[in-house]
Amino acid sequence: MIQIKDVSFEYEKAQGTLSHINLEIRQGECVLLCGESGCGKTTVTKLINGLIPHFEEDGTLSGETTVNGKCVAETEMYQLAELVGSVFQNPKSQFFNIDSDSEITFGLENAGVAPQEIKKRFDATVNALKIQSLLGRNIFSMSGGEKQSLAFASVYAMNPSVFVLDEPTANLDADAIETLRQQIVQIKKEGRTVIIAEHRLYFLMDLIDRAIFLKNGKIEQIFTAEAFRRISDKQRVEMGMRSLVCPKLELKEASPSGTATGLSVERLTCAFDKQPVFRDVSFSVEPGEVLGIIGHNGAGKTTLTRCLCGLFKESRGTVRMKGKALNAKQRNKLSFCVMQDVNHQLFSDSVWGECELALWDCPEERVREILEAFDLLDFKDRHPMALSGGQKQRLAVATALLSDKQLLVFDEPTSGLDYHRMREVSHMIQKIKEEKRIIIIVSHDFEFLSQVCDSIFDMREPRTERS
Amino acid sequence: MSNVRTDKKLKGKDLITIGIFSAIYFVINFIFMLCGGIHPIMWMLMPGFIAVFAGIPFMLMVAKVQKTGAVFLMGFITGLIYFATGQFTVVILIFMVISCGLAEISRYVSKYNSFKGNALSYLFFSYGMVGSPLPIWLFKEAFLSQIQEQGMPADYVSAVEALSSNSMLIVLFVAPAIGAVIGIFIGKALFKKHFEKAGIV
Amino acid sequence: METSGKKHRLKLDPRTDILLLILANVVAFTQRSLWVEIAWVVLLLLLIIACGCEKAAGKLTAAFGICLVLQYFIFPNGPKFLAASFTFLVSYARRIFPCLIVGTLILQKTPVRELMVALRKWHIPQSLIIPLSVTVRYFPALKEETGYIRDAMKLRNIRGIQKLECLLIPMMISATTTAEELSAAAVTRGIENPAPKTSMIVMRFGIHDYIFLVIGVVFCVISMMVR
Repeated sequence: MIQIKDVSFEYEKAQGTLSHINLEIRQGECVLLCGESGCGKTTVTKLINGLIPHFEEDGTLSGETTVNGKCVAETEMYQLAELVGSVFQNPKSQFFNIDSDSEITFGLENAGVAPQEIKKRFDATVNALKIQSLLGRNIFSMSGGEKQSLAFASVYAMNPSVFVLDEPTANLDADAIETLRQQIVQIKKEGRTVIIAEHRLYFLMDLIDRAIFLKNGKIEQIFTAEAFRRISDKQRVEMGMRSLVCPKLELKEASPSGTATGLSVERLTCAFDKQPVFRDVSFSVEPGEVLGIIGHNGAGKTTLTRCLCGLFKESRGTVRMKGKALNAKQRNKLSFCVMQDVNHQLFSDSVWGECELALWDCPEERVREILEAFDLLDFKDRHPMALSGGQKQRLAVATALLSDKQLLVFDEPTSGLDYHRMREVSHMIQKIKEEKRIIIIVSHDFEFLSQVCDSIFDMREPRTERS
Repeated sequence: MSNVRTDKKLKGKDLITIGIFSAIYFVINFIFMLCGGIHPIMWMLMPGFIAVFAGIPFMLMVAKVQKTGAVFLMGFITGLIYFATGQFTVVILIFMVISCGLAEISRYVSKYNSFKGNALSYLFFSYGMVGSPLPIWLFKEAFLSQIQEQGMPADYVSAVEALSSNSMLIVLFVAPAIGAVIGIFIGKALFKKHFEKAGIV
Repeated sequence: METSGKKHRLKLDPRTDILLLILANVVAFTQRSLWVEIAWVVLLLLLIIACGCEKAAGKLTAAFGICLVLQYFIFPNGPKFLAASFTFLVSYARRIFPCLIVGTLILQKTPVRELMVALRKWHIPQSLIIPLSVTVRYFPALKEETGYIRDAMKLRNIRGIQKLECLLIPMMISATTTAEELSAAAVTRGIENPAPKTSMIVMRFGIHDYIFLVIGVVFCVISMMVR
């Protein structure tokens, strides 16, 4: 059983303050923590897994949290590790080893469990979570979903009675979310306690026993599963929550290739080491149109975006802009990609500098105008890395508009965003649309796509050519 | 701001931070090591070149981990990886240990958060890689007697001797100091321009 | 050749690999005789062929041959500047050749996890093993990272000396966040546990391990004796 008694916490630097949290979670219960970004749900998970106060050193904590009768603040992290297992948001930064097998046994090795027992736990984990396909692999060759599955397994192997999941689906596609759902079903069946902080809710609706809605660091409301499911669409939008049902995508298909006014992709094929990643992709996009691209992991979405932006050479096919065939280098000049991790594409020491870097002889009024349009003018002297995620994204787009790029590609622009932040991104895209640019969005987020896109292109999995 | 922590033992987070910055340091180091293969002069100047460019990961790590042992581990890991790939020798490991020891002492004396102390520490640290080209002098006798036995012409022997002269040895030992000073100033500039403004240190 | 499909290959204990590397170092810096050197190199090449690194062994043999040819034929007869500049590099390369051979074996055939287990068996402190394994794990991550940053730079049309700064800054910032997140994940999985570490991998010295170590020691002794 987990008890949080009148806990308040304040960070010295970051946001995520909690005030007077009282919560009791029974063994075997599955509890959802929901609310907008910054409402404090991640902070609550840290109270339980001990990262507060053991890991976050600059902050003030009052009140008491106990897990199975043990006071979290007075228990060493490594003892807590045997009680509480944690899966985090970013699949890339959770693994410690290069190969998957070591990762699964990592926690057990740390605890000094006897070798035969490790082997037993290892086999049990593999069977219970059905992860045979992950064994013996290099983790760097895995997709985000597979990495997350592995992180789950490595926690499961330690046999904790409590699982704390902090936005585990932020970077996952629909299939990977389904895998995670199955895994949660499994641990629930085994009577373990699950605490999950999430934005995406639809996959959890039939799993949770209670939902705790947080706002500004306070528990605003506690719902039973029944009551939570009955929340109306209007109410959930007011609460800033993502869709409670699996969103459907009902948009027209992308027009066939051949446009003379916009971007026409004709039988485009890309290959890696002579292995085709995708083949014969064809579609058209007009200026001012937003095209969404969907498809499973491994269908080649990333390679397609890189190819469209001229970062990867096609092995066959043509890309035309206004009827004129373009090679990779020419495409590179015309296009910009907002990457999933925008941190990689901001280089300057201030927002203003970032804009000057885009086009060094750009008139000041134009920079001002664009920054104003994207609500960034007040931050013009800030360091780009000190901005919030949404602001960084807008800044990247601003630089693209300044350097007059015709084609804008977004790679998963809404991963890990709550409802309101997702709306902000769609507003931003509306604005670019008005500038008559060609916009392509690669995403798993159907709720978002159905709001912003005019048409959809589905990349089916490459036909595997094995005899 | 000085936040004095009572616990000066390296914890999990410190060790991981050290590991990550050591990886970056090693990569920078390795790039110049490869350049050293072009010409012996490049090889002798290599510790200096590395010192110019590796200041940033060093300074960041030192800022993040204000505890005893961080620099020592960074140097030791570098030496160990070179050793494990068989590319370099015990000489490099010995030099690493000595220079890291001195670097740790200067950090200890300056209480870990003074710029001057860390700068001096980096200067010492930069001498770790001197162990790589040093065998030129350590095995000079053996080399020279070997080529004389092979019956090489005398002007050839003297050309080889010139390369391994004592003045070149001085160059080898002065280069890291100059490099380290430049490296520290680059590091300091970037700290001011980026890392402090971005709020990561 | 072996009977079919899967060849039964020699597999050394990772501890033997490390010990051989140390012995190779000792031999490299003590031996003075060409014949001892060649015998030692040939023997190690045979070892790595038996372990399954045929391709690498071929390349290394060729490289060693080139070194010898350069030193004994090209340098004495070729242009002087060539000899003057490269004698040291070549002699040095030749000297560390045995280390390179064993290093190749370790890189190609010994998984990182086994090396770490070997280090643990020798009671190397965790405060060294943890950062070392993080370093090794971060190399591929760095490669991924630079790929993204390079793409981003191409899209932004960044050229010249600016490139260096634009590469370093995101890399350093991402290193800091990764350090933070990875530590959180590791700490919640008990990395700070003082209990002696265990492993699923069972490690045992086989007869071939002893044979090779004995041969290594013998070579050390010979190379110190033969002048």
